[in-house]
Amino acid sequence: MITWSARSPELPPYSVAFGHGRHRRVLDLPLVVWLAVIWVLLWGTFSWANLVNGVVVAVLLCLAFPLPPADLGLRLHPWGILKLLLYLLWDMWISGVRVTKQIFVDYPHRAAVLAIPLRCRSELMLTATAVAVSNVPGGSVIELRRATATLFVHVLDADDPKALETARRSVWRTEELTVRAFGSREEIARVSADPRQEDAT
Amino acid sequence: MNPTPWAQAADTVGAFLVFLGAAICLLGSIGLVKLPEVLSRSHAATKPQALGILLVLVGVALRLRTGIDAGTLALIIFFQLLTGPVASHLVARSAYRTGGVHADLLFDDLDEQLSEEPDMPRSHPRPDPDREDAAPKDGPEDGHTPGGG
Repeated sequence: MITWSARSPELPPYSVAFGHGRHRRVLDLPLVVWLAVIWVLLWGTFSWANLVNGVVVAVLLCLAFPLPPADLGLRLHPWGILKLLLYLLWDMWISGVRVTKQIFVDYPHRAAVLAIPLRCRSELMLTATAVAVSNVPGGSVIELRRATATLFVHVLDADDPKALETARRSVWRTEELTVRAFGSREEIARVSADPRQEDAT
Repeated sequence: MNPTPWAQAADTVGAFLVFLGAAICLLGSIGLVKLPEVLSRSHAATKPQALGILLVLVGVALRLRTGIDAGTLALIIFFQLLTGPVASHLVARSAYRTGGVHADLLFDDLDEQLSEEPDMPRSHPRPDPDREDAAPKDGPEDGHTPGGG
């Protein structure tokens, strides 16, 4: 018996379920597509045989190592992804230059661990934000508290209040762009709010 | 294969990008040696490195100039940017939890919250007197005034 996600609301979007009870398996089709794309890219040549093999391997992988059938809340917004990529590129450049400067300036850095409350709540978005922040000047992520959605980052030059403010703003900006690129509608509404007001409640 | 001007231009730009990326990686490595402690070093180890590998791979893509190779390189960039933070986070986290970084910190928001958790025994005494005067943490409004310098 095969069920498409369009017919049964308890399945995650774009997935197929078949089998009963203990043998029930849910195939996440975007995951299959993604694995097949990786397969073709790793082989380095595009041919139909390659593509078919990739799909077969992807399906076998998904059947052998089933993930829990949960909706991760991953949505793709092409325009948002483009904006996120451009912002990250720009930020990586800035942060590379800044860290390089900090390396070659000879004064003791007073570093600190700064708690930054985030606005998004879904685990995937928190993870994506943390990964994005790690690559940009906000700081190195030390800890992410899921219950309170708080990100703890290590900031160089923390004795300058302006630098702390910049770090916070940078993290919030990254968060907003990340969620606008990958988030569901509720998450986007959440990150559109002013972080300080949200925090006051 | 005789090189067209465009191919030559792409080759030159590619070579320049590879050089720039390598130079940025080198600067990051120097920072790894120069900076004082683990967490600062993780800045030097991750950020210039990420930018460097990105530039090197874009440079390589400009020299290879085939669609499928560009796809593979994009895949490498993707996984590099995705896994680098995980590694640096694990290093930072273990360095933080085994102690030894507190003395160097100006203030530390995480420390208080860790102390509040009953199921998380702290392995090291708290050596930082700078933060005694700070209010309990509940948001960025309370403005961290740098105490003691």
